[in-house]
Amino acid sequence: MRIRTAGVVAVLGLALAASGCGSSDSDKPAAQESAKPAGATGKLVIWADDKRTAALKPFAEQFGKDNGVTVEVQAVSKDLQTNFVTASQQGSGPDVVVGAHDWIGNLVQNGAIDPVQLAAEQKSGFNETAIKAVTFNGQVYGVPYATENVALIRNTALAPEAPKTIEDLVAAGKKLKADKKASEILCLQSGQNGDAYHVYPLYTSGGGYLFGTTANGDYDPKDLGVGKPESIAAFQKIAKLGEKGEGALKRSITGENSIATFTSKKCAFLVSGPWAIADAKKANISYDISPVPGFAGGKEAQPFVGVQAFYVAAKGKNKALAQEFVTNYVTKPELAVALYQAEPRPPALTAAFDQVKGTDPDLAKFSEAGKNGQVLPAIPAMAAIWDPFGKAEAAIIGGADPAKTITAAGKTIAGQIK
Amino acid sequence: MTTYADAPVANRNATGKARSRWFAQVGWRHLVGVLAVAFSVFPILFVLSAALNPLGTLSSTELLPTGASVENFTNLFSRTAFVHWFLNSLLLAGVASFVSIFLSALAAYAFSRMRFVGRRVGLLTLLLIQMFPQFLAIVAIFLIFTTVTDLWPAIGFNTPWGLFLLYMGGALGANTWLMKGFFDTLPKELDESATMDGATHAQVFFRIMLPLVAPILAVTGLLAFIGSINEFIIANVFLTNTESKTLAVGMFGLVAGERNNNFGMFAAGTLLTAIPTVLVFQLLQRYIVSGLTAGAVKG
Amino acid sequence: MSTSLSGPEPATQAPGREPVRSGLPRTSRDARNHAPITATGLIVKVVLLGLVAGIAIWAAFPLVEAGMWIGLAILAVTTAGLFYLYLTRRHIPAKYLVPGTLFLIAFQVFPVLYTASTAFTNFGDGHRGSKDDAIVAIQTSSVKQVPGSTEYALSIATKGDPTTGPLVFLVTDPKTGEVSAGDAGGLRKLDAAEVTVSPTGKVTAANGYTILNFGQASGRSPEITNLVVPTPGGALRSNGLSRAYEGKAVRAYDAGCDCVKDSETGKTWTADEATGSFVAADGERLAQGWKVNVGVQNFSRVLTDPDISGPFFGTLVWNFAFAIGSTGLTFLLGMAIALALHSPRMKGTNLYRVLLILPYAMPSFAMLLVWRDMFNSDFGLVNSLFGLHVDWFGEAWSARSAVLLVQLWLGYPYMFLVATGALQAIPRELTEATSVDGASPWQSFKSVTLPLLLVALSPLLIASFAYNFNNINAIWLTTEGGPFAPDNPTNGATDLLITYTYRLAFGAQGAEFGMAATVSIFIFAIVATVSAISFSRTRRQEDVYS
Repeated sequence: MRIRTAGVVAVLGLALAASGCGSSDSDKPAAQESAKPAGATGKLVIWADDKRTAALKPFAEQFGKDNGVTVEVQAVSKDLQTNFVTASQQGSGPDVVVGAHDWIGNLVQNGAIDPVQLAAEQKSGFNETAIKAVTFNGQVYGVPYATENVALIRNTALAPEAPKTIEDLVAAGKKLKADKKASEILCLQSGQNGDAYHVYPLYTSGGGYLFGTTANGDYDPKDLGVGKPESIAAFQKIAKLGEKGEGALKRSITGENSIATFTSKKCAFLVSGPWAIADAKKANISYDISPVPGFAGGKEAQPFVGVQAFYVAAKGKNKALAQEFVTNYVTKPELAVALYQAEPRPPALTAAFDQVKGTDPDLAKFSEAGKNGQVLPAIPAMAAIWDPFGKAEAAIIGGADPAKTITAAGKTIAGQIK
Repeated sequence: MTTYADAPVANRNATGKARSRWFAQVGWRHLVGVLAVAFSVFPILFVLSAALNPLGTLSSTELLPTGASVENFTNLFSRTAFVHWFLNSLLLAGVASFVSIFLSALAAYAFSRMRFVGRRVGLLTLLLIQMFPQFLAIVAIFLIFTTVTDLWPAIGFNTPWGLFLLYMGGALGANTWLMKGFFDTLPKELDESATMDGATHAQVFFRIMLPLVAPILAVTGLLAFIGSINEFIIANVFLTNTESKTLAVGMFGLVAGERNNNFGMFAAGTLLTAIPTVLVFQLLQRYIVSGLTAGAVKG
Repeated sequence: MSTSLSGPEPATQAPGREPVRSGLPRTSRDARNHAPITATGLIVKVVLLGLVAGIAIWAAFPLVEAGMWIGLAILAVTTAGLFYLYLTRRHIPAKYLVPGTLFLIAFQVFPVLYTASTAFTNFGDGHRGSKDDAIVAIQTSSVKQVPGSTEYALSIATKGDPTTGPLVFLVTDPKTGEVSAGDAGGLRKLDAAEVTVSPTGKVTAANGYTILNFGQASGRSPEITNLVVPTPGGALRSNGLSRAYEGKAVRAYDAGCDCVKDSETGKTWTADEATGSFVAADGERLAQGWKVNVGVQNFSRVLTDPDISGPFFGTLVWNFAFAIGSTGLTFLLGMAIALALHSPRMKGTNLYRVLLILPYAMPSFAMLLVWRDMFNSDFGLVNSLFGLHVDWFGEAWSARSAVLLVQLWLGYPYMFLVATGALQAIPRELTEATSVDGASPWQSFKSVTLPLLLVALSPLLIASFAYNFNNINAIWLTTEGGPFAPDNPTNGATDLLITYTYRLAFGAQGAEFGMAATVSIFIFAIVATVSAISFSRTRRQEDVYS
């Protein structure tokens, strides 16, 4: 048994040695701990998606260098919004988050973001729609930097004239199809489960709406337009364009293939946003951009207008610095121009927009197409719309009865809204 | 398939007969192999053609590449932290698969060779825990690691060691079951006689059992390696620093853009991701092939 | 083998039992046959336990510093337990099980239990935190700039040490250029001669004050955010580090009435502890709520809400078909190919194997998207290759077959590998013996190879079944549960219970984690029962060989 005793002694000796190393390691966090109140450095953590992370990095680092603070830009590739809310709740979230404006309702109900206080002259520097989009319950919750909306992109070699109505578009597309110059009439993505965002202009042109508005102009979740007679009428018109009708709308055209089908010249018309332009240029397509046309004799086709914005996290560790960054640095045109160069979406700052529109005529055309657009509702109830609405769209394009389908969708949505 | 014994017998009189005999014994196996490979590979050709297509779209009816360009590959290296991701993944998957296989083998040995109270309940529990949906556990993971990051930043968020610890939580999953099954097929006499010779339980485990199950260690090792390389749900919430990401997370970011994506670069990266897996497979191949028979003779 | 000195060890533990320690007369490879503790074993033990002790001490310091005594106690008990376990000669099975189990408890059992406990709450978007969190959120989000008030340029200063001294706001009125100093006591003007003001309006130096730079200031961020300088119209607050504004919280919580009052409109919202939200007399709820226990409300909703329980049975049947189909088909194909390639006369098996495992080596979410595209009715490869016009994901049965085919492609390499490993492990003598007896290959497969394969693989098949039962990605990335009946967008033909749950929990106005956890518990109970029953059948097989 002596060997066992020796073993115990050796274990203890080694433990002491290991803890010696251990304690020297733990000196570091301890030192940091005491340094924290000393406030030698502040750290700003920003969460964004991958593309914006890449674009933001140099500027955020510059901000850090100028002000003697550390800035970390981190990318969350999937479920940024949910992860931000969860992380914030537990106290391991960032100080600033970048995302679409329609997150605001959910972020606010979870107490995850704080309002930002913009001076009057800062506010007036932004495009009005953008400020409207980030305003929720009368408070401005984010600083917008870019807007986006869909438009009709057409291949000018195949379709030199911009169609005035959907009917013109279908006629032109059918002719091209008959002449074997194209295989599809229109590339408007739907997929098996629909795409509410892209079909929305047609829905509004047919007379449909999602939410009514209250007296002060906010969306009212109690007035749901889906399932109302107007929405049925709109979908009856859309059904005529579907697979059992003109064949202009098809479920086989999906988010993955719609741009590719356009760039491979299989269809002359594409309903898409600024993000499609890079591919069209690469494929050497001569294109032009015009507003999405409406039905003949119908209402105006209004696309959704979305806004990308910076938010200050309510539970960030460094809120003062985050406010400084968001309200005083993001509001400068230089950053907006850089973000535009990383991805060509129209900047929300008028000064930045004016700066880049000279070199990029597409920008003005997109913003023209979105001029009469509707701000994507930021109320939490909007989350209940997407899935049932899209599925109803797909079913109707596939030939289902519009009245029955859209009534069922309306019932499902109403059941999900609290 | 069990007629190896008379395999070398050749009938030289009739080549035609020999050929049909060849087909009956070996040829059909090649036919099955080729068909299976075709089934395996053709969707991957799609990825290859997307990787070589400078427009990098996922969609075309053409299976073969329409253009040949390495632009997507060069972009991958110049515009993203691909090299970091690659090395992180190799390190993490390498260490995690090695340690988890070891932990698994320890447990499988106990489950297979020892009888103790709660053995079957333990096995069943292992299985049942795996069935709880992972997407719901994310909240709890944030809860644990927010505290861990505050106390011990070295194993907190954005560190490979924290993620490694989390993966070890799943070490006793399906792999333990798989290995236990194999331990069960080993004749009990092997370890009994060793015990009679005065070997300790540790010696039986390390010197006798482990070499005998080398094929399954190699297989589970490979499966664990692939599993860690492809793991996404947890790594996505755990690693937010661009340079601390793994391949699965970093590459998903390439296609995760809201309404546009970068499938060309993604496809290129996907192909490169498969390389370490194939190399690990090559490395482990001889253990998989060597099999029990050789070991049994030695033992 | 007969004498055992380790009395407490139950005799049934024969094979793994600690070997007898009294010197057996048998010859042993080990010279010190009276002491089975070998030098190597001892060194390994010493090193590992030393590491454990070292890590424990390393981990203890931050716990002590943070005053987390419970955490420290858990750490101490765990460490002591490990030492006891590996220094004693008893509890041999535990020596093998504990390392993995510790991780399992920390990172799997705890999350599962935590999640399950949320099933009894209304945990979800809008109800994530405590009531205090909600009150703070309501108050801060109601801070509004006082109409017509001034926007000041701000510098953060202190009279003491920049890292610890009490903070003072030095604010400059842009219209008059007047500088004032403000702290919790209020604002007072500073003499213009004592301050230096930059062209932007910021104070850059002031007599008696140290101006904090951004780095210093951001290190004291919480103090700056919390510093409110009372003014007649409201309060002066910082907005970042270089501007200050006069703002007022319009809504405030009143503990007396347990309600939130709006000072502009006079409206009040009273706390409702049953739903975890502030509700006004007219039924309007404030968006920010808190987490409360709702008892078994979620469970009764699952059972009584026709939208949830209605399609449950049909979905359950398909769910079983999917899980059994995925497991069975992959196993059959994987095993068939493994058998075909398992021959000593086969050349190039290495190459075949590498190519065959490629589907498994590619990230599965990418390949699911590729497959979805291949099943596209107009542009997909499947239709164009075979000249078909099938609307694969548009019809219930074609969608189901397509999903199973994709699962087959993704999963059979795994089964192939495992079956290959298993085949290699089957002693050749066994199969040779039967062929000598004149059995046909099929007979020898049926009587020798298959039973041995099943012993090795049946636990795995159960595990695979369980995994596929909840395989959310396989459905979500291909059909998303579709096709859907036009009049029912909540339940599709390929929906699994898990995708159905996911849609219910996250498709609503904000995620409902509590609801999702409840449905998961139901699913869990079903799978657990089925698995437990099939598991009990493996006992017979296991006992044959053990």
